[in-house]
Amino acid sequence: MIEFAMDITLVISLLWLAWLLLAAQDMFKAIILFIIFGLFMALVWARLNAPDVALAEAAIGSGLSGALLLASLRRSGESGAGNEQRAGGLEPGSGITPGSATLNITHRLLTVLIIGLAGTLVWAAWVMPPQHSGLTEQVTARMQRSGVSNPVTAVLLNFRGYDTLLEIGVLLLALICVRSLGALPQFLTLRPPGMVLMAFTRLLVPFMVLVAGYLLWAGAHAPGGAFQGGAVLAAAGVLLLLADIGLLQSCPERLLRALAALGFTVFLLVASMMLQASGQILNYTPARAGAWILLIESAALISIALILVLLFSGGRFEKGRVPAQERDPVQ
Amino acid sequence: MSLILTVPWMAWSILLPLGGAVATFLSRRYASRLTLLFGMATAVCVGALGWQLALKGPQRHHIGGWQVPVGIDLYADGLAVLMLAVTALVGLLISFYATAYFPKAGQEETGDQNVASSVYFWPLWLFLWGALNALFLSADLFNIYVTLELLGLSAVALSGLSGKAEALSAAMRYLFVSMIGSLSYLLGVALLYNMYGVLDLGLLASEVRPGPTSQAALALITVGLALKTALFPFHFWLPPAHANAPAPVSALLSALVVKASFYLLLRLWLGVFPTVINTTAVDLLGFLGALAIIWGSIQAFRQRRLKLLVAYSTVAQLGYLFLVFPLVLRGGDFTAWGGSAYLAVSHAFAKASIFLASGIIMHVAGHDRIDELAGIGQRLPVTMFALALAGVSLLGLPPSGGFIAKWMLLNAALITGQWWLVAVIILGGLLAAGYVFRMLAHSFTPATWISFEQPVARRMEWSAFALAAVAIALGLVAEPPLTLLQSSTSFAGPGLREMIP
Amino acid sequence: MSNAHLYMLGGVCLFTLGTYALLTKTQLLRKILAANVMGSGVFLVLIAGAYRSPSGLPDPVPHAMVLTGIVVAISMTALALVLLGRMVPGSRKGDKE
Repeated sequence: MIEFAMDITLVISLLWLAWLLLAAQDMFKAIILFIIFGLFMALVWARLNAPDVALAEAAIGSGLSGALLLASLRRSGESGAGNEQRAGGLEPGSGITPGSATLNITHRLLTVLIIGLAGTLVWAAWVMPPQHSGLTEQVTARMQRSGVSNPVTAVLLNFRGYDTLLEIGVLLLALICVRSLGALPQFLTLRPPGMVLMAFTRLLVPFMVLVAGYLLWAGAHAPGGAFQGGAVLAAAGVLLLLADIGLLQSCPERLLRALAALGFTVFLLVASMMLQASGQILNYTPARAGAWILLIESAALISIALILVLLFSGGRFEKGRVPAQERDPVQ
Repeated sequence: MSLILTVPWMAWSILLPLGGAVATFLSRRYASRLTLLFGMATAVCVGALGWQLALKGPQRHHIGGWQVPVGIDLYADGLAVLMLAVTALVGLLISFYATAYFPKAGQEETGDQNVASSVYFWPLWLFLWGALNALFLSADLFNIYVTLELLGLSAVALSGLSGKAEALSAAMRYLFVSMIGSLSYLLGVALLYNMYGVLDLGLLASEVRPGPTSQAALALITVGLALKTALFPFHFWLPPAHANAPAPVSALLSALVVKASFYLLLRLWLGVFPTVINTTAVDLLGFLGALAIIWGSIQAFRQRRLKLLVAYSTVAQLGYLFLVFPLVLRGGDFTAWGGSAYLAVSHAFAKASIFLASGIIMHVAGHDRIDELAGIGQRLPVTMFALALAGVSLLGLPPSGGFIAKWMLLNAALITGQWWLVAVIILGGLLAAGYVFRMLAHSFTPATWISFEQPVARRMEWSAFALAAVAIALGLVAEPPLTLLQSSTSFAGPGLREMIP
Repeated sequence: MSNAHLYMLGGVCLFTLGTYALLTKTQLLRKILAANVMGSGVFLVLIAGAYRSPSGLPDPVPHAMVLTGIVVAISMTALALVLLGRMVPGSRKGDKE
């Protein structure tokens, strides 16, 4: 009973937070609420016995997404034009002046549709069988041959490894997409980073690299893996950027591209090798599966981390940045 | 011979373009040549797969050696292979065109968006190609979601490639549509998985039962995919996104990308969910398709810019595809869904040709305002001939692929006695005559005082012409592709037959 | 009602809330937040479904699906934010019309 009360509290907090963040007037406040929302989601994942997802949500869904959003808010000016953009809205009526009759009708129609959607979905969820094992048994039966003992890693890298191959492709593609749109002004730090941040970063970054390595290794038998490790490593990279330590900026462009593509390339090569040898994509022999998975995950970890940091900084690391004081916040 | 039979061609046709995408990302200097190389290799794989299919029938590939339900399967039947082949042929010709369209890329990045677009077009396009091939071959609901995301990301970035303000705002809108579409699809998948515990399309087809969950899931999936296919009234994002992109991109988006989500609708409605669908839903889709034909054609006629006219014509032509649902449900046989698939194919060639030709006209004239294009026909005879041939297919006049397809649809409408569909198909043809005439008339008007001096690469003109020629050839030699289509077994499942009264 | 049902209902409510905000809000940054909320709703439906396993061990397949989904979501968010940054007037650098 107490457990159920706790669940109800969690679900209501989630909905309430979502409402608040979508209704907040101030965009900065909305983003902070979004980060808190992400942390609550991580709590829910932990509650629902999904520690792998909880780790990824805390690091990527809440942490890095939050950092991306805040950086973007700063780019568009704290309260500048970006905050009140109207163009390019999704709904066809976005150009109509508020208060006009057409807008009201569209709005009412939309409200009716949304209520209908909510009703249908609630009904559909309500009639769901209370117990369903899904594919649990089939996965458990094949764990011996998967090369790892964490079932989520087994699904992610072996049984449904093809999804993950394409997903690492999505991440590389996102980087290419972001770069194809051209350079953005970069002003991650408006003030020169303080001594505290510098010292903190120097202390924390080596530790985070260790944690990332541990998560990668642990993924085979416990919660963790390339995504979680990569996200932690990416957070370390973001810290390096914020503290203005020029380590990442000193990396040559060709090497940067090669490292960003490393994970996808290794995954593709392994898939092609297996296809050539056994006639099937990603058909590892059970004895070697563990080693192949570790190889793929190690390469993926580096690319995931690097791409996430690059996405944070607009697709490129700017070289020869001007001193922070001289930078104009809105170029 | 044994090579043809044993090599898993379908897996290679996915891995090769993706590998090409990485190669063109890493090596900018050779990006265009690498694209042609990987493209041709992919086309060879698709050709061999078609041969394999002809000898052995539909093919399955168990990824990782695992069987469903735990693993993911790829599945190739006639429809899938036809879509792969269209993608390969249209894609190769567009790539060839693009080698002349985009300026040669330098090694270093500058702020110039023209250089950026020529650097990034190649990896984005190869990712798009890989995503299309993966989508056409996928037999797994969640895997389809991942391919949709690959497709959506690359399509959005391609549509914003020019960096111009209108293109960026169209790309933003496209991105939101793409996001809503994918998330809606994914929620449908989540509901289905929670209900049935399977993701494989074949297994799902045998387990799915009518009920609130299945219907809600199908509705979510349909809305998501209809958004991505720009079915009326979800078409609002398409004209700005397709019209403001660079010409090769417009061609790719209109010819291939919107067809991918329609392909999924066709597969899912007719192959997986025939027991769940009801007449109301089917008629609604058909009705929206009819509205798309009429609205899209009228809007196309009213446009002042050539590329916008062509983009609205895509909205109208996509409408025809949706007529398949009422036609099949009310007893239409192969003429119904085969006609629809054939229309998707011939429209791909015709529309790609028209967009490439528009790109040449824009390049030479510096603009695409229809009323000021008098005399361009004298300057660009090959391009104009391509435009005219593609227009014939768009209109559905013999002898073209468009004619065969519309003839089949018309037959199906007559056989099933749906007179309102007969009327819509004929009306759509008349309206198309209006905008195709408008597209061509000004360009053929002779003019002596305007000279268009801008030089144009021959291969651009000939690529556009080759595409138009294929659109016509599809009408002259319709037998092989239609035979290929007929070997799509998933449409002849028992579920579908029960639906037919 | 089981715990799993409760979370599934929460998931569909989040999805609906996100959809509504995405369609009605005009600020682009908020639309991006709304899409993320929609995504979280879908993920919640999946993970709640996985929790119903009678053996007590949750179904790992939806967990893997959500991990994939989270990575896709951040890719989409990053692209949307860069597009947004480029659309803000005067923010473009080295731009050529």
